[in-house]
Amino acid sequence: MTAATTRAAAGPPAVAGDVLVVEGLVHRYGDLVAVDDVSFRIAPGETFGLLGPNGAGKTTTISMVAGLVPAHEGAVTVTGRSMARDPVAAKAHLGLVPQELAIYPELTARENLTFFGRLQRMRGKELDRRVAEVLELIGLEERAKDLTKEYSGGMKRRLNIGVGLLHRPALLILDEPTVGVDPQSRNAILESVEALAAEGVAVLYTTHYMEEAERLCDRIAVVDAGRLQAEGTRDELVRLTGGVDHVRLSGAGDIGAAAAALRSLPTVVEVAADRSALTLTVRDAARAVAHLVTAATAAGMSLDGVEVSRPDLESVFLHLTGKALRD
Amino acid sequence: MAIAGVELRRFLKDRSNIFFVFVFPLLLVVLLGSQFGGEGPTGRAAVAGPPSELRSDVVHRLEEAGVEVTLSEADAVRQQIARGRTDVGLFLTAADGTSLAAGRDVTVDLVVGSQAGSRLTVQHVRTAMDGVADQAGQVAALTGAGIDAATAERALRTAAADASRPRVTVTDADGEAQQFAGLGRFDLSAATQLLLFVFLISVAGSATLIQARRYGVMARVLAAPVSTRQAISGEALGRFSIAMVQGVYIMAGTALLFGVEWDSWPLSLLVLAAFGAVAAAAAMVVGSVMDNDAAANGVGVGAGLVLGALGGCMTPLELFPDTLRTVAHLTPHAWAYEAFAEIQRHEAGLLDVAPQLGVLAAMATALLVLGGWLLERSLDRAL
Repeated sequence: MTAATTRAAAGPPAVAGDVLVVEGLVHRYGDLVAVDDVSFRIAPGETFGLLGPNGAGKTTTISMVAGLVPAHEGAVTVTGRSMARDPVAAKAHLGLVPQELAIYPELTARENLTFFGRLQRMRGKELDRRVAEVLELIGLEERAKDLTKEYSGGMKRRLNIGVGLLHRPALLILDEPTVGVDPQSRNAILESVEALAAEGVAVLYTTHYMEEAERLCDRIAVVDAGRLQAEGTRDELVRLTGGVDHVRLSGAGDIGAAAAALRSLPTVVEVAADRSALTLTVRDAARAVAHLVTAATAAGMSLDGVEVSRPDLESVFLHLTGKALRD
Repeated sequence: MAIAGVELRRFLKDRSNIFFVFVFPLLLVVLLGSQFGGEGPTGRAAVAGPPSELRSDVVHRLEEAGVEVTLSEADAVRQQIARGRTDVGLFLTAADGTSLAAGRDVTVDLVVGSQAGSRLTVQHVRTAMDGVADQAGQVAALTGAGIDAATAERALRTAAADASRPRVTVTDADGEAQQFAGLGRFDLSAATQLLLFVFLISVAGSATLIQARRYGVMARVLAAPVSTRQAISGEALGRFSIAMVQGVYIMAGTALLFGVEWDSWPLSLLVLAAFGAVAAAAAMVVGSVMDNDAAANGVGVGAGLVLGALGGCMTPLELFPDTLRTVAHLTPHAWAYEAFAEIQRHEAGLLDVAPQLGVLAAMATALLVLGGWLLERSLDRAL
């Protein structure tokens, strides 16, 4: 895994045999720079997340990666094929699962899969066999002959993903695939993505749900205002916040004396006090919390509650951009 | 081809199309053919009375003259006349035949309706009755000369069959009537409804192009190893396939059900293909310019009806004033109408309809280029 880097630092490190290489992508809508110098790489079997709020530039980025919109600057290479010079060859190795349900509602699941399989130049028995496999994989073999407009939202989502998998792409691009999905279907989708990555498929996953990014992604890029703000593993990104945790001690007694006593401890970075609680910024809260409780009690504070909160991707996003992920 | 195939499949699977694509056009062909068609029955007569040789002979003669004859009870015949369902009612009795054979004077009742064509039907009935009376008189004369009745009747039938009748060529002094010479009853309405529906259904079908963009299907298609040009060609071919299915269905349906003469099928299919290409290209333009599929459907139906009316699909072009007829040639319908008219009425060949085919091909090319360019722009917009 790579070390977490902010955009000011060096570009993404090279990994031999990367499925996707994105270098310096720029896309403008008039004067608005929607994607600004975005670079990253994805290795086989790796799940790479683009995490950012709506309008951050995630969809435009993957549209350039999928060859749907041109990059005004920069380059995309899929399994060594340039998207600019040989788009047909590059596209043959990627599967796109758009945010919209990109299927024909008037056709059955089998007809949809067969159509998109033909676009992938699959024919005859190979196509029939693969359609049957995908129907089984997404659990729709019993409903294969039903019109998709009669499906539930979750079934449509599964078919939407199945279409992207049909031709066994080396790179699977999923754009917010769980938007509007019930928890059960959402879990099934996340499990499918995990299974695909385990089979060696490189996955580019965009989301604004930090829980999904934390669960699925080996590496995460935080995107905001078209720029890639930071990139790394979850732990690497968290360390960008300074590696500090927050501990809240609530209770009564001599809170002022307790605050003073706690400030003198080496693990405590900052103390904020109000009438009934102390909020502490500390290093390695898991180890320090026992000392904190002892020191506060010894200083005359009677505790009735201790809360420890560790930083997450939300905190990372807040730290990097100064705003919440769902703003 | 895959894109064209799926567009055609979507069109055929849409249940709302069953009526408007497969039933409604044929209904209109029948309706318009019945109202304005050239070769219908020359009249309608209802005949009442018991079965007799006289009745059979009269009915046979009327039918030979092209009159549509129904046999009913006397009350039913009166009702038909009162409701305008027949031009005349002929009331025969059992005694009429016997009296006629015996050479006695016979008076039959003929009730005439108030329809415009009733007078002509009366004339047909008079002619038939005169024929029956003449034959009865001739049989009586021959039996009086010692020939038995059966031999006399057989000889008269043979003589009638062998008689060489003068050929009468009717030339209508009305120029407009001459324009429609050679057309069967449903020929004109079949051609005009074909043009109306091929264009209307194609352009209304542009809604599916908008849906494909909106669903994100076009994005997914373009993420496959397919070039933008291939995707656009597939969409155009899909719309052309829809136009051809609609057109060939109307041609085959009207030929089989109503005996419509398309004369040269290869040439008629060529005209249909040229017109279908214009309709498909127009659908590409509408589907690319608009983003609302329901509105596109409405525009398709509206434009289809207006252009169809202007192009001679509702009132024959021959009945248009000169200025309006000139304006009508801004529509592809008018050119295709003229091509079908040449083929159906004058047994035209390829060279005869080459000007019309050329104009349709030029229109199709111009609209296809425009539609392809607009679709590419609309895809950029959608992505």
